Amino acid sequence: MPIFALQRSYKYMMYATKQPSLRINQADLKCKNGCGYYGNADWDGYCSKCYRNHMDQERQRKARQSHHSDQTKISGFSKFEEKKRQQTDKKNKYLKSLPVFRKTSSVKDSGRPERHLDLRQANPDADKLMAEFISLYGVWGDMVRRDFFKCVQSFTTKIYSELDNKPIEDIAEMAQKYYNLYSNRVNSTETYQEVTTDVRDELLDFFEKYVMVSLYSWLFCPPSTNDEEKDLIIQERIRKLSWVNAHHLDCCISETSIEVRDLVYTAITHLLGMDSMKAPQEKLACVVNCCQSVVKVLQHCQGGPVSADEFLPALIFIVLKANPARLKSNILYVTRFCNDSRLMQGEAGYYFTNLCCAVSFIENLTAESLNMPQQEFEAYMNGEITSVSAWESALVACEGMHQLCEHLSLLKDLSQRTTTVQDETQKLTQDILKFKDEINEKVISVLEKTPLIIKPRKTPEDLKIEASQIAAIKIEVEETQPQTNFYLQNLQIGQNNLGENKTKLQLDITSCMDKQQSLEFLSPAFESLEGATPDDQNSLSLSKINYDIDFSDLSGENSVAELTPEKRKSPSFTPDPFSPVGSSCTITQVPLVPSQVESDFVLPFVEGEKAGEETLLEKEDEAANLPSPIKPMTSQYSGFSKQGWQIPSIPCITGDLASSNASQSNSQASTSHDN
Amino acid sequence: MKTIVGKVVVLGHQGVGKTSTVIRYVENSFTHHITPTVGASFFSCKILIDDITVKLQIWDTAGQERFKAMAPMFYRNANAALIVFDITSQQSFESMQGWVVELQRNVESPMVLCVVGNKIDLSKNREVTRDEAIQYARSIGASYHECSAMQDQGVGVVFDDVARGLIRLFGNTTDHNLKVYDSENIDNIMASSSELEATDTGKEETVNLSIRSIAHGNTVKPKCC
Repeated sequence: MPIFALQRSYKYMMYATKQPSLRINQADLKCKNGCGYYGNADWDGYCSKCYRNHMDQERQRKARQSHHSDQTKISGFSKFEEKKRQQTDKKNKYLKSLPVFRKTSSVKDSGRPERHLDLRQANPDADKLMAEFISLYGVWGDMVRRDFFKCVQSFTTKIYSELDNKPIEDIAEMAQKYYNLYSNRVNSTETYQEVTTDVRDELLDFFEKYVMVSLYSWLFCPPSTNDEEKDLIIQERIRKLSWVNAHHLDCCISETSIEVRDLVYTAITHLLGMDSMKAPQEKLACVVNCCQSVVKVLQHCQGGPVSADEFLPALIFIVLKANPARLKSNILYVTRFCNDSRLMQGEAGYYFTNLCCAVSFIENLTAESLNMPQQEFEAYMNGEITSVSAWESALVACEGMHQLCEHLSLLKDLSQRTTTVQDETQKLTQDILKFKDEINEKVISVLEKTPLIIKPRKTPEDLKIEASQIAAIKIEVEETQPQTNFYLQNLQIGQNNLGENKTKLQLDITSCMDKQQSLEFLSPAFESLEGATPDDQNSLSLSKINYDIDFSDLSGENSVAELTPEKRKSPSFTPDPFSPVGSSCTITQVPLVPSQVESDFVLPFVEGEKAGEETLLEKEDEAANLPSPIKPMTSQYSGFSKQGWQIPSIPCITGDLASSNASQSNSQASTSHDN
Repeated sequence: MKTIVGKVVVLGHQGVGKTSTVIRYVENSFTHHITPTVGASFFSCKILIDDITVKLQIWDTAGQERFKAMAPMFYRNANAALIVFDITSQQSFESMQGWVVELQRNVESPMVLCVVGNKIDLSKNREVTRDEAIQYARSIGASYHECSAMQDQGVGVVFDDVARGLIRLFGNTTDHNLKVYDSENIDNIMASSSELEATDTGKEETVNLSIRSIAHGNTVKPKCC
């Protein structure tokens, strides 16, 4: 077998150098059947179609020959075995189908330098790792790198030279010795002095990885051992045990939960992924990932911490369902060449030991270990009984079958739940009836104990007097009400108006001011308001807040105006017709006039359809001299809040004004409403 | 300061509370040392005793009868064994004795043994007397503790005792599997290391060359003045 390995590496060399004498004829690449398509060495030199036909014929021939022997096998197994055989014979096939390579096999003893070349050229993975090493640990300097590769080189050459002479166990021991050696070297020599402890551990890991990846093809499933046979045996064993399900193993893996199913598949994927990894620690990482998924599955199914009592059966279940390729070889490879310290302890070691346990359990599985009668076990093993579970069908059978099984178990579950619900319903009905009776009894007993006797009504004298007094007080209160409740009324009206006429801006500033009465109910700051500049008025925080309200109220409208915080300030205080009741009147809004009007100042206006637009000056006059046609009624006063009257009424929508009116004259810009 | 790493296997019949005991201990006192996989059956924790850090790696095992044959895989290279039984079950006590026989048959290297009677909160249903258990523990050279994982009684003492046992074991013997970081076989390896370098010097040069060319893409030219 080492010969094969050599030859294989030579093959890479040949492709790399492309010597003309080794060129393959186009005809050699075509299908053997001569159908014109290209053939493939994997398919015995046939093209895919011809190969399938060929295989069908072969299978039929075989089936005729060994009719009874196939019966015991579970369907699909022969196909699998075929696949496996192909895999293992791959190397041979390559050599057979391409006779050119046979010549090169004579070079096998040409000495060490050649082998060095092989080692490096045959391993694109190793090259990748070398680049990785430089990028990761290049910062630690040339010395570290040089030393690392020196050790790697001495390790690989040493192992390589001993490969043919020593049994694999000795080589494994040697590898362990080298790991220790390098570990000591890293921890004690000056070269690595500057390297931090973490990086030292990483370096050790990397050493192992690099060496093992370089030597993988020689050390994994070495020809001197019967690992491959063991693989096949365990594969077949697992195949035969495919009927074992979670119940047999006493583990509670729910079959219908989607999360659990996903986790189980994740676990299986991780376990299957082990074969594709090369370094022992990578394989171990796969095992750890797999086991962690198993733990998650169990946590999902039962909740709480997972003990080994539950974990091991679940792992066995996963291994049985996954049936990983070359399981035994992988386990042996890891056992031999993984750094002992990692395998003996730590999480990875624990999970790996569990995996070994699972495999050994599967190997030695008997009827007893599944707690079933010997007869039944044998019947299962012979294929006389077949059990179809959801898992089984998911992993082996077709999708439809799988769904069928899942639905069946789901239905079973549901019917169970229905019966329990029905039972509970009955119980509940009974309980209700019982409760009803009980209550009835209780009520009757209570009634009997304390019979209801209606006696003639009596009113004590002093109580009557009190009542008359209360009536007197009530009348008093009503008299005072108009004054005391005035403000509250206003508030209410204001609120109503606000609610009804969201689209129209109505703010009352002065309506209440005519009425000295109302003033009393308003802010004491009113006095200072008279004659104050607009700015002063702005400083009233509440008026500012209410600007915001104005804005939002009108934002949906098309009317345009600019927000002007001004308030009228003529001492006479012309009443503002812009009262909340305006909505019911023809007047909707009256703009406010600023005290100092600048020529280009844009005043708010409201509805374009009410065309009475005037110049600012006119407006000012009007606003100052003309009384508002509608006098606000005291009772109709309304405001937003306590300070409602202070709120300047500024109908405003900015955008339109800017676009339509700004271009027009000032007179148009500043507006007022006539009534 | 020394660091001792010890592997502790927890053995016992199914349902005696192996996992509960371990989880109780790990949760209680070493919250910040637990490996992130709480809920799994593997834990590692550190105990500091007299200036010596003892790192315990606790391996939980499956207690079912059918997995008994696999147990040797777990306690291979173990430094300590916690053998747990349920004081309310005579059967668990007897099956524990079976575990011990197996253990003694399969493990040659010295080991700290610790018999633990769990579930003392249920002592009214007690089937195994304390004296009986102590007597047995003595006969196999083990220490005996009683605890209740549920009510958190005496769990800490058990592991403390194991840690002290490991320290004693390390002090007494030289041939053990304990990982101690000032190991004495360094000399051995150093010797072989120098030997190795001597034989392989011829090859080192070529390797270094090739590495340099990979690292820099081309050979480094000497700078001129």
